[in-house]
Amino acid sequence: MRTVAGARRGLDLWLWQRASAVVMALYLPAFALYAAIHAPLDYTAWRGLFDPLIVKLATLIFIAAALLHAWIGLREILIDYVHVLGLRLALYLAFGLLYAGCLLWAAAILWGTA
Amino acid sequence: MHLRVYRYNPETDAKPRMQDYTVALEARGKMVLDALLAIKAQDDSLAFRRSCREGVCGSDGLNINGINALACVTPLTGLRQPIEIRPLPRLPVIRDLVVDLSQFYRHYRAVKPYLINLDPEPERERLQSPAERAELDGLYECILCACCTTACPSFWWNPKRFLGPAALLQACRFITDSRDQATEERLDFLEDPYRLFRCHAIMNCVEVCPKGLNPTAAIGKIKALLVKRAL
Repeated sequence: MRTVAGARRGLDLWLWQRASAVVMALYLPAFALYAAIHAPLDYTAWRGLFDPLIVKLATLIFIAAALLHAWIGLREILIDYVHVLGLRLALYLAFGLLYAGCLLWAAAILWGTA
Repeated sequence: MHLRVYRYNPETDAKPRMQDYTVALEARGKMVLDALLAIKAQDDSLAFRRSCREGVCGSDGLNINGINALACVTPLTGLRQPIEIRPLPRLPVIRDLVVDLSQFYRHYRAVKPYLINLDPEPERERLQSPAERAELDGLYECILCACCTTACPSFWWNPKRFLGPAALLQACRFITDSRDQATEERLDFLEDPYRLFRCHAIMNCVEVCPKGLNPTAAIGKIKALLVKRAL
């Protein structure tokens, strides 16, 4: 009885948006606590926070989650407002590339501190 | 009492206009529908729908001072004057306050708003426990007045593809029904970026529903069932 099925899409991205929100909700208080323990923070101490590999990885996952969250949200807005298919796909791609660039840049910054 | 009413006859008018009316009416205890009937008595060219005049038939859903409501159960007291009365937003106007609800009903029909049960019909009736029946509370009371769907920005942006809160509430009503056997088929139909997932929980539907129902919660329940099925 699958004859009238929907596109069977939409749920995956909706779930990813929620999953990425959970990642952010876990990381932010944990990082705030971690930073508070190492207070007072001057520039060297702040850099030092990101020395352990685990912090680098957690931060990168957090940034990936934030960017994914933003892209999915942006996709929703574009579906709502941009009804010209070609333009909408171009905007998906443009922001996808922009956010992928941001992720690489974040990785470069994180691993550039060592 | 002053009212400004939307007037438009697509066959003769180039564009819609607002017409001012003054009616002698004691506001206390009266509803917007009473004012419209008073206008109709002095200007019978005004077209609007109404039937039961007690919030049951859902015919007189209108945009009153910017908020979708049933004229027959919206008290005149407390409304800022002149009371602006417009047709439900985002639907084609047939004349004045009468809108074409075809799109609304197409979405309603699309969710198959009837029991699907392939078992042989029992001698008397398909039974439900009181608890199973209670699950339908808050879902079955919808009168299809279209106040919610036409207040929904997601419906405004994608009226042809997003089913809208009223149809989704009905989808939830039949998914929830213990006697229905087509839950999988219904969920398949709804798992779609447009039909269901255009809902961003803006909750205008909850705000305007004259029966106090909560389509956003029903949509949330459908999403939860989809997640449960997928994981």
